[in-house]
Formats: sequence, structure tokens, C-alpha cells
Amino acid sequence: MQKRIVLDLDLCCGCRSCEAACKAAFKGEARIRHGDVTGEAYLPLACKHCKEPLCLASCPVEAIRKDEETGLVIRSSQVCIGCQSCAFACPFGVIDAPLIRHVSQKCSLCNDRKDGPRCVAACSSGALQFLSEEEIEKVEIGMRMVSKDAFFRRKA
Amino acid sequence: MKMIEQSFCTVKKTLCPFCSFGCEFGIIFDDFGLKGIEYIHDGSSEGRLCPRGSAAVLYLDHPRRLSMPLKNGKVYDWQKITKELKKAFEHPKKVAVTFDRNITIEEYQSIVSFCEKAGVENIASTYFEPEAFLKQFLSKPFSIDSIGNANMIIVLGDPFNQSPMISQSLINWKLSNRNHRLVVIDSINSHTAVYASDFLRVKVGTEPLVFCALAREGLNGIDIPAVTGISASVIKDISQNFKNAAHGFIIAVLPFGHTYDALFLAESMARLSTFSGKQVVPFVEFSGFEGNQHFGSVVDLVKKKKIKHIINFGELFPYYYPQFHKNLKAVDMVSTSPLKFNTFTTLPGALNLEKSGTIFTTFGKKHIPGTITPASGVRTVDEILTLVSEVRGTGKSLKAPEMKIDTMERARKLIERSIQAKKKRSLTLIGEKIAYNFLGLFEKERMKMNPMDAHELGLLENDVVSVTSKDGEVDIVVKLTTDVAQGIVAVPPETPDIKGLFDFEIDSGVVNFIPTEVELCRKG
Repeated sequence: MQKRIVLDLDLCCGCRSCEAACKAAFKGEARIRHGDVTGEAYLPLACKHCKEPLCLASCPVEAIRKDEETGLVIRSSQVCIGCQSCAFACPFGVIDAPLIRHVSQKCSLCNDRKDGPRCVAACSSGALQFLSEEEIEKVEIGMRMVSKDAFFRRKA
Repeated sequence: MKMIEQSFCTVKKTLCPFCSFGCEFGIIFDDFGLKGIEYIHDGSSEGRLCPRGSAAVLYLDHPRRLSMPLKNGKVYDWQKITKELKKAFEHPKKVAVTFDRNITIEEYQSIVSFCEKAGVENIASTYFEPEAFLKQFLSKPFSIDSIGNANMIIVLGDPFNQSPMISQSLINWKLSNRNHRLVVIDSINSHTAVYASDFLRVKVGTEPLVFCALAREGLNGIDIPAVTGISASVIKDISQNFKNAAHGFIIAVLPFGHTYDALFLAESMARLSTFSGKQVVPFVEFSGFEGNQHFGSVVDLVKKKKIKHIINFGELFPYYYPQFHKNLKAVDMVSTSPLKFNTFTTLPGALNLEKSGTIFTTFGKKHIPGTITPASGVRTVDEILTLVSEVRGTGKSLKAPEMKIDTMERARKLIERSIQAKKKRSLTLIGEKIAYNFLGLFEKERMKMNPMDAHELGLLENDVVSVTSKDGEVDIVVKLTTDVAQGIVAVPPETPDIKGLFDFEIDSGVVNFIPTEVELCRKG
């Protein structure tokens, strides 16, 4: 199983270091971005690299493909025609609709970098982690605040 | 995507100079130039980097990066500049030398030495960010590991946004023990406040009164709860517990235009520090240097036509403070800047990132290794000074005249302001520091507004409004949130347009940007 980006809600301080790292690396393209969840939490949202990606199914030019070996859902910027079908199809809303250089913005888990995604490396509070499925099961993520009834203080 | 072949790339390690945390990171270069940022796991911040650090690559390679001198927006000649500067320094008493941020300690010493030798009498700081008042607390270095020993921490402002690198230590400390108490004092409900055991949401500008009350300063005749919005029992409880706590800290960040009296605020924190025996730990973008006088005195001399030339070394002044431009019409203003601006005479200056030198950080002095080659055409402070005189040296730090604080007088002035603002029922614009908005490199600022105020004005989320103050007007997108109280609008002051909205006062010669009355008008 390939590693995936996991967010520890306990630690996310909303500084958007992840988004900045992504924008700096991809020339203004924010492949991870912060979303305002009904005004109660402000969290980074990244591509989940779904098993059955709807973005792939919706792409009219087959610019998005799933790598069988790594499980990554990858968009080819050469093939993409910028129709935004993927942005509307994504059930998590993680593909940003505005186009940068005429193509949609799609996370590739920084597969050009051997040390993993830049957003995880840059995360100032250590909230973003790059873990395999086995590792995810072993670590306690987002438990501390919930157990202290403090999670609900996230409300304004 | 093809993996970056490291053998074709060079990673140059450097130190982030954009705030007082001093994180290490690498910049990747290939044959075609700058490629990106490398996050160094064995560095001081374990590879972590806030948006300011990531912005380095955008800043170094910015399309508006200046490579030639400009005069009123037109390309100018270095030879002509040299001639003009030499002529100006023939009458050194008519010249003021100023500096804001983006200079190293060595460059500051070089400027001071130059002024001594050239006979320049007017030397002042133009770093007007209120965090400059926190400089006094940087003299005592702080270790991030010591947070783990604390029982109670009082935080002023939103360090998670101002200096996000502190967040991991602070959150881990807070969540590691149920008895750890985090008190946050701010007029905005911030990301830091989310984690607070006690969030003291004070009325705008009244933070110094809360700190004075926590330090049990006798403010006779002043009803602290009524003015600040914080009950007397809460203040008493926090004050007592903080004094009794075995270990603790006062962590302070101070955004632009966020409070009326930054000097009084710094003084009140110093008093709480003395009362409780706890260290004040400031997190700032830059530790300002002092001149031999405050900039207010230079402004007076300009008005009396005694100063004809101002030479500024740095990044912000005068471009980011358009309020001052009318005062500078009578002088020949020459300033260094990394970016292009179409007013005054602008000399292409190197970023601290491109220099070899020392900077102040919260953890003591740190060295920038100078591994990054300066951008084409830029000149260092020393190179610019050499245009006028070959004689170089190292000057001692200067001290601007000390300002005396009359606590009662300042407290009464704050209360008067608070009452006036309440009577007028107008909107007050305050500054909110957000690292992601650093100099507008990543995105444009948005204005936070309470939904009740928006309803009264018929505004919706993402509406564009024209914000008008006494000094400026700017169009900005509205973000609705209850994080700001009614009557308050908050904006990250990072660009000249936004900074230009804020009123300023010259308080005993020191320039202080304050919360400002504004009017909003929906566009379109």
C-alpha cells in the first residue's frame, strides 16, 4: 500500500504552510488548499487518490490516469484541456476550479521528490503526516482533543 | 512526473531571514536557475517551514524584482546616482539616513560608521511595525525546549499565524497535560485562541490595561472590566495563578494597526514579567535597529526644510507607508528596495537571504551563510555606501531617546479612545498578521467582518467592497466570520495599499500605526 497524506486535527494550526509550499513548488498552483468547513474548522484538503476516482471517470480527454503500481491518480498537464470536469466531479472538492496555466490543479503527492510531499515536509505544526495504511492504524490521530471535550472549542 | 535528478541540482543551505525564528532551509538550483525549496530534515526546524520561508523562492525570483536604479519609475544610471549622492553628502547636516528591515547587524554597523565619518547627524529607524517595541525582550535568548517545563503560558495575539513554527511546541505542551493552562489575550478570535484554556477577548486596543491589571498595577479610578470586557474575577484568578506557577512564559506578537499604544503595551508586559518573574518571549518578523533619534524628529526637520535628502536602507519605507508621501515631497528621497516601485529614487537592494551576515532571532543571534548569489544588478548596503565614500568601518549601536511612560495618563487616553469609538458607532479597521499573506506574495488580502455588520450594510461573503479611510481607499473581498466582534473589520496589512489605510500618530517622536475608522461601500 502506498503512503498517503494524513491530517492530525489536534495539531493543525491553520497557518497554510502546506498550501504555501505547494504554491511555491508548482508556480502558483495550489494542489493542496485550505477549506473552511462550515465556519467551524479551517483544514487543509488534499487529493485522496481514490480507488475509483470520479475525476478520472469524468475527464473527457483521459488526461487523468490511475497508476496501477503506486495507486496515484495523476493528471497529465499536456493532455488536460482545462474543462474543469474533474473539479466538479470530485466528491471532496479538492481540485480547485480556477485554472492555472489552462490546466486543472491536481495533487501528485510530489512524485517528483524522493522525500515525499512538500506540504508534509513544510507543515509547521507537524499536523500533516505521510503514512502507510499500517502506520495509520498504529498512530493516534485527532484523539487528544476529542477526549478532552476540547475539539468543540474549534467553534468561534 | 519525472523525479528531480539531484545530481543535476545544487541545494544551497541558508537561513530564513523573514522572521525571528531563523529556520534553515535549502534552495534548489539547476542549470536554468532557481528551481524550488528543499526542506532540510536535519535543520534547526526539522525541515518545517512557514509560508514566509516558502515565499523565499517567489521573492527571489519575483517578476517585479528590481535590477536597475529607478527615478520616478524610469530607469536611471548608477553614475548619476553616485554623483547626486556625493553632492548630497557635501552638506551632511541636510541629510537624514534611515533604515527599516532587511538589513543585517553588520550592515547596520556599517551605516552607523559611515554616518559618523560623513558627519550625518540625523539617523533614525523607519521600521514602523509595532513589534519593534518588543525588541527589548529579545536580549534574553529563549530555548524552545523550555516550553515543556511551563505550567502556564500567557499569549498576546496570534503566534500560530504570526510565527507558525511555534505551534507544534505550544500545542504539544497544551495537550500533554490537562493542568497546563494557556491564556490567550486578543481582540480577534484567532487560531491560537482555539487552543486556549482561557481566551480573554478584549475590546480593541485595551490589551495594555489587561496586562497592567494582571500585574496588579494600581490604576485608580479605572473600571478595568467595563473598559476591557474582561471580568475582575478572571483577571484576579489568572494573575494569582501566573504568579504562583513554577514555570511560565508571556509569548507576545504584535501586528500592525492592532493596538492604539504599542509602547504602553510593551511596558505593561514588562511589568507583568517583573510581577510574575516570567520571561517575555517575542516573535517578530524583524528586530528593528535604533537610530540616534526617532523618525518623528526627522519629519519635524523636513517640515522646517532643514533636511533636503533622506536615504533609506531596507525594504518597506517609504513605499509601504503611502501616508508619509506628502511629507516627503519636499525632500529628495532615495531608498533601496528589492522590488520595483514607481515613486522616488529606488536602488536595487539585495534581500537578507542573499547576504552573508548576522540577524537577531528569538533564540539569539544567527548567521546567514551567504550561499545564495544576489540577483542580477542588486547592490549591498556596503556597495551603495562605497559610492559616496571608500572609508569603511564598524560603528557602535545607537540609542534613540528613551520615552517615559506615565501609566495613568496613557490608560486614561486609551479609555477616551474606547469611549469615542463606541459613540461614533463606525467600523474600526485593525491589522491581523497572517503569515500566508506575507507581502501579498501568495494571494490578495481579504477583510474579515462580523456577519451582523455585513447584514446591516447589505453585504455578502465574497462581495468586493471599497474601504475608505482618511488616508486611502482600496477594494477588497469580504470574508464573513464571527471571529471579529461587531464594529470591527480586520485585514492583514501586507501591501502598500492596505497599510496605506491606517492612521498613524507620532507619539514622542515614534511613529505608531493605530486602529482606524473606515467606511465601506459595496462595489458593483
